[in-house]
Amino acid sequence: MNHADLAAHITARFPAVTTSEAHGELTVHADAATLVALLTFCRDDEGIGCELLADLSGVHWPAGGHTIERQPTTTGWPTFRFSEKEGVVEVLYILRSIRHGHVLRVAVATDDADPRLPSVTRIYETANFHEREVYDFFGVEFDGHPDLTRILMPDDWVGHPHRKDYPLGGVDVPYKNDKMIPPPDERAIREVVR
Amino acid sequence: MDGATTDTTTTEHDEARASLQATSATDPTMAALKAGLSGTSDDGVTELFLEGADWESVADAVGDETLILNMGPQHPSTHGVLRLVLELDGEIVTNLTPIIGYLHTGIEKSAEYRNWVQGTTFFTRMDYLSPLHNELAYCLGVERLLDIEVPARAQAVRVILTEFNRIASHYVWLATGGMELGSTTVMTYGFREREHILDLFESQSGLRMNHAYIRPGGLANAVTDDFVERCEALLKRIPEKLGEFEDLLTRNPIWNDRLRGIGVIDAERALALGVTGPLLRAAGVAHDLRKVAPYSGIEQYDFDVPTSTDGDSYARYTVRLEEMRQSLRIIRQALDTLPSGPVMVADKHIAAPSQQQLGADGMGNDPAYIRHIMGESMEALINHFKLTTEGFTVPAGQVYSAIESPRGELGYAITSIGSNKPWRVHVREPSFVNLQAAREMTRGHQVADVIAVVASIDPVMGGVDR
Repeated sequence: MNHADLAAHITARFPAVTTSEAHGELTVHADAATLVALLTFCRDDEGIGCELLADLSGVHWPAGGHTIERQPTTTGWPTFRFSEKEGVVEVLYILRSIRHGHVLRVAVATDDADPRLPSVTRIYETANFHEREVYDFFGVEFDGHPDLTRILMPDDWVGHPHRKDYPLGGVDVPYKNDKMIPPPDERAIREVVR
Repeated sequence: MDGATTDTTTTEHDEARASLQATSATDPTMAALKAGLSGTSDDGVTELFLEGADWESVADAVGDETLILNMGPQHPSTHGVLRLVLELDGEIVTNLTPIIGYLHTGIEKSAEYRNWVQGTTFFTRMDYLSPLHNELAYCLGVERLLDIEVPARAQAVRVILTEFNRIASHYVWLATGGMELGSTTVMTYGFREREHILDLFESQSGLRMNHAYIRPGGLANAVTDDFVERCEALLKRIPEKLGEFEDLLTRNPIWNDRLRGIGVIDAERALALGVTGPLLRAAGVAHDLRKVAPYSGIEQYDFDVPTSTDGDSYARYTVRLEEMRQSLRIIRQALDTLPSGPVMVADKHIAAPSQQQLGADGMGNDPAYIRHIMGESMEALINHFKLTTEGFTVPAGQVYSAIESPRGELGYAITSIGSNKPWRVHVREPSFVNLQAAREMTRGHQVADVIAVVASIDPVMGGVDR
């Protein structure tokens, strides 16, 4: 099936989801309520047949402050449906079918004040480490995960480092005579948009 | 070691022991420790205090209970800083929990604060045994967002170098895997052979590892005049040396006993656990992204995808060895059809401004270009500084670019918001995902087999922890 057929096949079963295609990749935009049913369908349906959850990652879109032009005309990428009024954590599931050789992305957004999604570990066991990573970095609580603990950061770490509201920077370095040298700020190179 | 030094060490040790005994005589807790048992902790788990070489007291104390053994993070056979918590019933592993994160360096986060070209210098440092694959996967993603086509010569050189990198990575796997099973000869051979491939990388990029040679839009600089010659020399050398490995290992009774039937995983379980790469192919699934989703013009070369149906550690050995031969086939064809022309896109808004040539001192320079920007064209100078400080902008969007790394599917999920820095780059690291299968592959085996299984997974902790 090509991307148009795949999109039609999925929307026929789940009328609530929307699809988009950009850079030769199909994205299915779903919500938390349909996520588990959608992924189960993608795995078990003969026509879609995605045996492998290739990747699961998060992207944080904080509320407000985006003055970035979305460039829908040049990229074909739809305007990000995440409003600037409320911040969201977007979780992306990359599904790969080895039988049919296609890839599709399922995108789900959850409120960044209390990010919460159902776990898909019952459908794809490989999501175990991935969901722990997204929890570690973005604070998304995956309901039904067997062991939702931090995976890469230390257990006693405070905060979720990949969120955009988490500060990046060095630590103050104590020098002799109790002088504190502030961390270098050249990391914040100027953002350029053309 | 001379006699005097030995005496000193022994004396110090005796003193320490005497002081411990003195403490235990007065402190009731220490006395209990010395007896082999510390009583029970809050959650009812018996804790043991061991000084080494007193395993009999462990056996007595444990009895029929489960022993939880901590292996790593600093253990020579855990490939870096991997920590494994083993639950043992006697010598049999009933559960294994990998604990990772000791090498976490926040590369993905740091990349969000650097421009797009600087990203390659970060990602090349993740999976340090296959740096060129990391660069390639990232650059393919950025190029897809930019919607640019890389010149044919750059594509062919990318394929040649990444396939050499695959061989180098498998050499290290042979070397470390062999060493962990007691074969130091394989270790010295493996690292020795890898050096020759690293020499090639050094001659082209100036660096033996962490090259940052593949850049969005092409390559950092053109290959040297003796590139083909160097590749030909390697193509002649590697097949002979692969034969040596086969002679040493394939029918070696210890190698066979330690690997056959160890760490078996079937295709269905492997897919459920997200296992890809040689592990999946050893389980009988001929899945290779070079065939399924070809990149860099690799579809024009003829090669096979080796598989096995055994799914055990020995099958992974045969699959990897055959993969190295297939990589040589790809390189042979790519060298024969190596196109001429530029190695960077023509677009001056993206291309690295100068094509520096590597000097004898290992530094790059381009005198003609410096003359141009410093003496002839103000606009060229402005463009140079804008590109090297701000970098170029990448149109907004999301891509997932995946290639077949030596360890499996290496994917870069890149999000751009149209600025000169990535908004988010997530890396799907094959080592990270494959490590999840270790629990299932070791269950029911003995402790010594854990080493063989972890070696057959070939995790690179730099990639796992990122």
